[in-house]
Amino acid sequence: MDLSTTLPILLGLAWLLPLASFALVVLFGPWMGRRGVGAGYLATGAIAAAFVLSFVALLGWLGQHGLASGEHGAHADPIPPVAGEWYALGTFGALTITIGYYIDSLTLVMFMMVTLVATCIHVYSFGYMHEELGVVTDPLVTRANGRPLKRRGRFHRFYQYFSLFCFSMLGLVLAGNVAMVFVFWELVGICSYLLIGFYIERQSASNAANKAFIVNRVGDFGMLIGMMVLWSTLGTFSFSGIFEQVRPAASGHALVVPDGMVRAAAADEVERIVLANPNPAIAERNIAAQVPAWREAGHGRWLLIVAGLGIFCGCVGKSAQFPLHVWLPDAMEGPTPVSALIHAATMVAAGVYLVGRFYPVFTPEVLLVIACVGAITLFMAATIAITATDIKRVLAYSTVSQLGYMMLGLGVGGWVAGLFHLITHAFFKSLLFLGSGSVIHACGTNEMPRMGGLRRKMPWTAGTMLVGALAISGAGIPLLIGLSGYHSKDAILAQVFAFRKDNPGQGDLLFWIAAMGAAITAFYMFRLWYMTFAGEPRDAHAAAHAHESPRSMVAPLVVLAALAVVGGWNVPWTGLGVRPLVDQARPLGTEVGMTAPAAAIPAESASHEPAIHRIVSWIAFFAALGGFLVATGFYGLRQLDPEKVRRVLAPVHWFLKNKWFFDELYRWVFVRPTLAAARVVAALDRIVLDGLAHGAAGLVRLVSRLDDLIDRLIVDRLVNAVGEWTYATGLRLRAVQSGNLRQYVMWIAVGTVGLFVLVSLFWNYAAAGN
Amino acid sequence: MPDLNSPIVFLSLIVFLPAAAALALGFVPGGWGDRIKGFAFATTVAVFLLTVWLALPGGGADSMRFALGDGQMQKTVSVDWIPSFNVYYFLGIDGISLPLVVLTSFLSMLAMAASFTIQRHVKAYCILFLLLETGMLGVFMALDFFLFYVLWEVMLLPMYFLIGVWGGPRREYAAIKFFLFTLAGSVLMLIAILMLYFASDVRKLPQARWDACHLSSDVTARARIDATGEPVHTFNLLALAEMGRLENSPFDKELLWGKSIQWWAFLLLLVGFLVKVPAVPIHTWLPDAHVEAPTPISMILAGVLLKMGGYGIIRICYPICPDAAYELAWLVCGIGAVSMVYGALAAMAQKDFKRLVAYSSVSHMGYVVLGLGVWSITPGNLLATDYWKLGMNGAMFQMIAHGISSAGMFFLVGVIYDRVHHRDLDRFGGLFAKMPVYSGISMVIFFAALGLPGLCGFIGEVFVVLSVWKYSTALAVVAASVVILTAGYILWTIQRVYLGPEYKGPHGEAITRMTRREIAIAAPLVALAIVLGVYPRALLDYTKPSVAQTVDNLAGWMERVKLPELRDRAAMEERARP
Repeated sequence: MDLSTTLPILLGLAWLLPLASFALVVLFGPWMGRRGVGAGYLATGAIAAAFVLSFVALLGWLGQHGLASGEHGAHADPIPPVAGEWYALGTFGALTITIGYYIDSLTLVMFMMVTLVATCIHVYSFGYMHEELGVVTDPLVTRANGRPLKRRGRFHRFYQYFSLFCFSMLGLVLAGNVAMVFVFWELVGICSYLLIGFYIERQSASNAANKAFIVNRVGDFGMLIGMMVLWSTLGTFSFSGIFEQVRPAASGHALVVPDGMVRAAAADEVERIVLANPNPAIAERNIAAQVPAWREAGHGRWLLIVAGLGIFCGCVGKSAQFPLHVWLPDAMEGPTPVSALIHAATMVAAGVYLVGRFYPVFTPEVLLVIACVGAITLFMAATIAITATDIKRVLAYSTVSQLGYMMLGLGVGGWVAGLFHLITHAFFKSLLFLGSGSVIHACGTNEMPRMGGLRRKMPWTAGTMLVGALAISGAGIPLLIGLSGYHSKDAILAQVFAFRKDNPGQGDLLFWIAAMGAAITAFYMFRLWYMTFAGEPRDAHAAAHAHESPRSMVAPLVVLAALAVVGGWNVPWTGLGVRPLVDQARPLGTEVGMTAPAAAIPAESASHEPAIHRIVSWIAFFAALGGFLVATGFYGLRQLDPEKVRRVLAPVHWFLKNKWFFDELYRWVFVRPTLAAARVVAALDRIVLDGLAHGAAGLVRLVSRLDDLIDRLIVDRLVNAVGEWTYATGLRLRAVQSGNLRQYVMWIAVGTVGLFVLVSLFWNYAAAGN
Repeated sequence: MPDLNSPIVFLSLIVFLPAAAALALGFVPGGWGDRIKGFAFATTVAVFLLTVWLALPGGGADSMRFALGDGQMQKTVSVDWIPSFNVYYFLGIDGISLPLVVLTSFLSMLAMAASFTIQRHVKAYCILFLLLETGMLGVFMALDFFLFYVLWEVMLLPMYFLIGVWGGPRREYAAIKFFLFTLAGSVLMLIAILMLYFASDVRKLPQARWDACHLSSDVTARARIDATGEPVHTFNLLALAEMGRLENSPFDKELLWGKSIQWWAFLLLLVGFLVKVPAVPIHTWLPDAHVEAPTPISMILAGVLLKMGGYGIIRICYPICPDAAYELAWLVCGIGAVSMVYGALAAMAQKDFKRLVAYSSVSHMGYVVLGLGVWSITPGNLLATDYWKLGMNGAMFQMIAHGISSAGMFFLVGVIYDRVHHRDLDRFGGLFAKMPVYSGISMVIFFAALGLPGLCGFIGEVFVVLSVWKYSTALAVVAASVVILTAGYILWTIQRVYLGPEYKGPHGEAITRMTRREIAIAAPLVALAIVLGVYPRALLDYTKPSVAQTVDNLAGWMERVKLPELRDRAAMEERARP
């Protein structure tokens, strides 16, 4: 089987199937089956088929490239990606923007993860969204007359958006160039917007949707700048093209500032040479000869850094990292399956994926920024999760925090570690979200203080959520085996530990933040579980209402729980697993560390040392255990009273409860000034510019009135005066016209004599003139 | 039977069919309301079909179909008009004008279909509308500067009356404002035209180029005879452009304050065209004109008339006055970037739905100005032309895309206005439940304006933005930042109008679903927005060769004329340095 032809076809089909489903549902959705239930079957069928196709593609890949690669640096023959183009959006000379693909084992793993999780959630949504098949009464929306809103269900529209999302997400993963990533980046963003605002009648939902899209656009602004730098200096968007230039084979795939960037940064020098040499060939030769020296002098390095930071900026927005994390918790306004699919497993992980994909371009400085942003995010979000009482918001902050882990892992050189955590996190976090959805579905509230004691009524949900909580806490027997989260989180921590060895000081800080984050994670996760499932019901109404969810919802929970357990394992007696598979895709040149004045990024193999592994495993274990025990003390056994702690630490609680005041800060620093600027501009238009126009018009009118006045007072009078004088003279002369013939003859005679006198007089003068 | 396959018949038919129909309507009793509308609509459909035939690819020299891939002027017509002043009836199309011609006939057809709601003075309305269409089509095809100017003015008067008679409550103010702004612009243009005309001299052009410029044999004969006598002036746009690129261009003579004729001409023409675009700070006629104009006229105004500004810049300003353009590129780009930001901010503060859409036009047309202006053929960039081609194609694309999305937005505003008779953004809401199809269509059109990938707005915006860095880093950052503001005002609008539990304004009972006629008008716009967004080559294949030729001509001038000048200057500075 020739992979270079079959893989694009298989994955391309898997990518387009959801699009076909979307198009069909748009056109015929309401008429599909009873009240549009057929739309759900169609969308689910499409994504399931996409999963099968991805699976076939994966099998093909494994058949060709073997089951495992040497995880420990045996990269004798790196596996080249399957890259190519489908069609060009536009070609301008050497520049071309295309729709293409870049397929390696990372792509395949992402395809498997996305289609599998999406299939589970599609199935789950049949149960969760079944209300939408009938007439829905929305208790959260009251009409002007005080009654709750009643509306027709929108089952088909939900699946319509879901299909569009799957298409966009798969396109993002499949993309062969940065421009195409950006295209699908925006498309997943709009799907997220549509689904967060699915309950369009709720003001809070549409606010959250707007916020999500606009905050993401702030990230995209940075991403556009990064893209502009790459485009203007390298002349290409394709991953292969970019990687060849920043990590040329000639330098052993080590990161160098590419020629294009050196030349762009030294444009003044280039101009000088071009102007000094009329012959273009000689000028070009002189420039080429100068490039190494310019590179040595540091020309163009800032462009490489700006490109990296710009792309990362986009990832900060999409993956809800500090300081653009504010949209994700609000995004919980969407239906819970949406939170599970988009805001936990796939779309928010796209930022991490892109950092991984774009890894070869990042300089140590950029990686350090990534690591710091990740560390800040993971700590901040974890602390906020402690005080949140909305079950979905706890999970949302937990997602932000875990994404911070991934970023931290990638930033300190753990390429496989970060992406590995992406995959395992997708399993257990979507599980947790679906579980929370099951709970919300059962008791009709998001507030954990109104839950409690649900384990008896919902044993499956409680059990699978417990698995999820254990997985995210990284439960396992140190150095032996554990749930999926154990393997991936330990890999990240080990890498941070290795980083710490090379960078004392900042490395210490990062490591202890990460370890503390692990403890807090276990704490808030078990707090959530205990508050929801343990103890006695706190709200009789909610408890009475509660029941185990239908099978269509429980089955996906069980599947995902199983994956949350085994997701980190390799298949017994083979080397096959997520981690070695991801490792196959490691970009050339990133297996060795990098050094710069700002930071030294260790090679990932450094963290595989048994000594590091041992220490880190135990630290992580005790951190998680500590968090678990404290949570058990407060909420499980109820030996400690959280209320007391809250009173003692009132300012801290207030600070956390208000989410570090980011929303307020942004409102005052960005939103209001922008709106004020908008009003100023509008006023400027109305008052100054229109004022000028009106002023000019007024001036012209004034001048014309003046002109009119002059006309009437001076010109007219003059003319009138002349006229009157003529008239008067005429009147007077009338007396002469007497009709008396004798008088006429006399006048003629007098006139003739007079004329003669005059002529003779002037004749003399004229003659004298000559 | 005249030969339909000759350009003179075919192009003239396109331009003057509406005018002829208008003339015919003059003899019809005014009481035939609907039949008059039907006739006018049939005329616009016929014109549209003719332009589509013109746009079908695969034509050779003897066919009226477009020769795709050829950047030259095609299907040229040149007939004596006022020979004593060398004025010719000179028409032609290329990849830059053809898309705009098709856009014009397409939007005229849709706008005429949207005019069926007009009830007052139907006959006069239809006559003026058809005259307007003749003017617009003519402007995009005219290659004689004088003819261009005349048609430019022809389009002005009907527009004035269409706003002033059929408009809203403040229609007279809006109409006179529109008229005076545009007139001021065209007076500046006229001055520039005369300056260029009297400075031009056909004899300075190499004889080999005379045919390429389609100069009339009359002129060339005189140019040959009068080798020593009086200069032979011309209004021929192609010849003027050739002259502008000469090494000793007749336009290089100093005119005033140390600046050359072409510097002043460029400035005057630029201002004239920027009024039309419209660019900040000469845009304030637009919101008023739009707010008062009836829906179909708003569609034409935003969809077609604004494009004339951009078209003038790309067809006239840059080719004829390259030296001035090189020197003033910063001004053009700066105005473009400022318009983008300014329009977006102003849109955000509006309470009137139509005003908001009008300001979004200012912002979106800013992309056009910016994309046209990014002169990145500099020595520091090794005279690379690709990025400017990208920007210029992006600007062309943006013009068409904006034609689709803005006409669509104005139409959609009109649909709801016809029902509830207000445009106050704070008194809508909940339309999604009452008008699902309308809301769905609106979402697509608004997302196209927002620049969502997969829809037409994205391609133009992203091409323009990507081309800017090579010209100026700072402008690139400003241009990129507009994506945030655009998302802000569009999403906020969608939220206020379509989302929410229920409609908040008056006449709620009048809100009915979209009629079939309305859907039939909006659907083609939606379809085009998607097709162009997914397969931009459908348009780029037309624009690319002609844009490439425009840019290559300027690059050639840069290399031949400007670079030696810059070299001398650099050498002098080198020598001056101690």
